Amino acid sequence: MLQAIFTGFFGLAAIWFAVVVFRTSSMVRSALALLFSQAAIGGMFLAMQTEFLGVLQIMMMATEMAIMAIFMVMYMMDPGGLGGMDMTHQKRASQVAGALGALAALAVAFLTGWGPIAGEVRPAEQVYGLGIEIMERSMLIFETAGVTILTAMIAATAIAIKRRGSK
Amino acid sequence: MNAVLAILMLLTGAYLVAVLEDWASTGRLRLAGPITSGLALLGRESIVPRQPDRIFFEVAPPLLLVAALLAAAVLPLSPNLIVADLATGALFVNAALAYVMVALLMAGWGPDGAYAMVGGFRFLGQLIAYSMLIVMPITAVAMRAESLFTTEVVESQAALPNAIYQPVGFVAFFVAAMAVAFLPPLDLPTAPGELAGGVMAEYTGWRLAVMRLARAVLVVTLAAAVSVFYLGGWLGPVLPPWAWSAIKTLLVAATMLLAGRYVPRLRETHVLEWGWKIGIPLALLNIFYVGVLLLVV
Repeated sequence: MLQAIFTGFFGLAAIWFAVVVFRTSSMVRSALALLFSQAAIGGMFLAMQTEFLGVLQIMMMATEMAIMAIFMVMYMMDPGGLGGMDMTHQKRASQVAGALGALAALAVAFLTGWGPIAGEVRPAEQVYGLGIEIMERSMLIFETAGVTILTAMIAATAIAIKRRGSK
Repeated sequence: MNAVLAILMLLTGAYLVAVLEDWASTGRLRLAGPITSGLALLGRESIVPRQPDRIFFEVAPPLLLVAALLAAAVLPLSPNLIVADLATGALFVNAALAYVMVALLMAGWGPDGAYAMVGGFRFLGQLIAYSMLIVMPITAVAMRAESLFTTEVVESQAALPNAIYQPVGFVAFFVAAMAVAFLPPLDLPTAPGELAGGVMAEYTGWRLAVMRLARAVLVVTLAAAVSVFYLGGWLGPVLPPWAWSAIKTLLVAATMLLAGRYVPRLRETHVLEWGWKIGIPLALLNIFYVGVLLLVV
């Protein structure tokens, strides 16, 4: 019961902060609202006793969203949101898409047969299990993803550097 | 009970760090200094600058304090004296410390001041340079302990502390810890004399008092992290475990503060460059080296 209440609380917090992302015009507020939305999802993981995933989510999002804040401030004309900038467009289409998406998510949640609920696994065993998963069955996936991201990083840097000899 | 004891120890540590910091920057040893200056700050008006981002401005100081306290909660003072012995303890320290950067970003953006904003974004710009040197050395430490429990990390150092077992990781973590606590010579987000206080420039009165307290607690927490991950935490002969933890933590904190007295502030570009080009490769090498040691020896 308590678990359900906390999961629901963090879930609602995640949704609220996600709404705040679009209600504010300040780029830093927007980025940090997204951060707290994601951190609330981390809180949901913790409430659902998946300790490693929760802590990882809370840690990764802090750095990722803050880095996003840099780019949003860099590239937006009005990063402070003081000029009355409006970030929304195609309002009717996005309302319809949002409503349909929410319905689809609810349908998946309620119509899927989720199978039996797994018994409680101690956090230390979860960490161990994740490690085994990453190093055995999913190793190829993680290695492929890692190399792909590294390639993208090197390519992006190479594009960004000024060519030798050019002014 | 553990939580109360831990908070008392942290506050004592923060007081001692404040005395040491005062001594390191002025050369005078004033035992009542932190208390009188704290009271003076509480007595002063806490000014809110014009057109602030009020939420960030108000949230930043408490968030900095909470981040430091949360990181301290998973660091053991003795085998039983730990607030939360999490199965993900070593990772949790990283997670909590990431919010130091979030707090400083808020403190930089919130007051609508040029110096503060430069300070906040500077700290964020340095992020990868120092946070990778926190995460990767901890990875190597956890590899040796074969666990993320901070208590097991300490126990894994019974034969040999990690500072000797993996000296490269120790140095990297030590320097990165100083950067996270923005201690001189790595005090880039505050940078007195250049940014006139940076992220702290616009804070006055009780808000500044909270900020200063949070910073002192942060220094103690990071010193405790160095002691737990690299100096064997509570392990030591004769004295009781908690005493060893306290001694090691304070010695680390004193070393960190002393470094600032003798080393001039580094240039921002240098910190970034050295962090990326020297620090990160060394930290990766350290992981490889520890892996080889674990498999071969």
